[in-house]
Amino acid sequence: MTEAIGDIERDAITEILNVAIGQAAASLSQLIEDEVTLSVPFVEFLNPALAALRIDQATGRTDSVAVRQRFTSAFSGDILLIFPESKSLDLVRSMMGDSVPLDSLTELEQEALLEVGNIILNACLGSLANQLGISIESSLPSYVRGRGTRILDAKHPDTELVMFLQVDFSLAAKGVQGYLAFVMDIDSARGFSGAVAAYVARSMAGE
Amino acid sequence: MTNTIIMLVDDSRVARMMTRAAIERLRPGWDIIEAASGEEALTAIALDRPDFVLMDVNMPGIDGLEAARRLRERCPRAIVSLLTANIQDPIRHKAAELGIGFMSKPLKDEALLDFLDGGHATS
Repeated sequence: MTEAIGDIERDAITEILNVAIGQAAASLSQLIEDEVTLSVPFVEFLNPALAALRIDQATGRTDSVAVRQRFTSAFSGDILLIFPESKSLDLVRSMMGDSVPLDSLTELEQEALLEVGNIILNACLGSLANQLGISIESSLPSYVRGRGTRILDAKHPDTELVMFLQVDFSLAAKGVQGYLAFVMDIDSARGFSGAVAAYVARSMAGE
Repeated sequence: MTNTIIMLVDDSRVARMMTRAAIERLRPGWDIIEAASGEEALTAIALDRPDFVLMDVNMPGIDGLEAARRLRERCPRAIVSLLTANIQDPIRHKAAELGIGFMSKPLKDEALLDFLDGGHATS
């Protein structure tokens, strides 16, 4: 279902998101003092059921925890930071260091993940906004736990088509892997593609 | 002589904990007060007049920019900086218009030190 936008637009979207996700990875790396390895982002147009399956495949078909932010601009959608549930406490421990006792870490896990999500998702959205020269409003982050279908929370799972971008990142020394996903409906994906095309045209013209 | 007071305004308890840990390390002996919202911060300044304020932007209720604007009216001598994950250029510009600093999360020691030395850190 890649015909929703053209190949060149898809390349441009991938490139611009690559920069945004690089910014997010730099923030995560600083937060946990570890190198973050990124996969090449891959954009697909899927129905929500297939997108949920992608998440479940990526997390080994176990429950995931995710931080989700709704974003609104000329286009709107959700951006998600997803971890396998079994690894989320490791991530929190990496972030909080030795300053917090282990039993308190468990209590703080949800709040800590929300703050990780807040930093990483806003780094990504902020870079995107700055590159495109637009303003993006975002909701406060929310915490979700469950399988892919629950994480995505599609309003019309049978009819919607979503732009699903997945990038895998891993924290080599900590053995933690996670996933960043953008979900937009088709109208928004076209609006986003248009904003990216305008940015590319401006850049090519040397503006 | 009274201690220097720094106020941390952030709806995330974890964010406040991490910032508090950095300040306790860099400025032991300073009094640290915390507020979980802009409204709470504006109430708290009736009791304690902070010398420094670190303010998140995206919070429930009034946002950090508006809270910083009101706080500056009531505590014009306080040195204020945003400390936010929202790195968009318009937020930096609005901070500059308000005459307050801008620091991005995650917090960097160098930027925090600049701010604590009385400068308007930008990072």
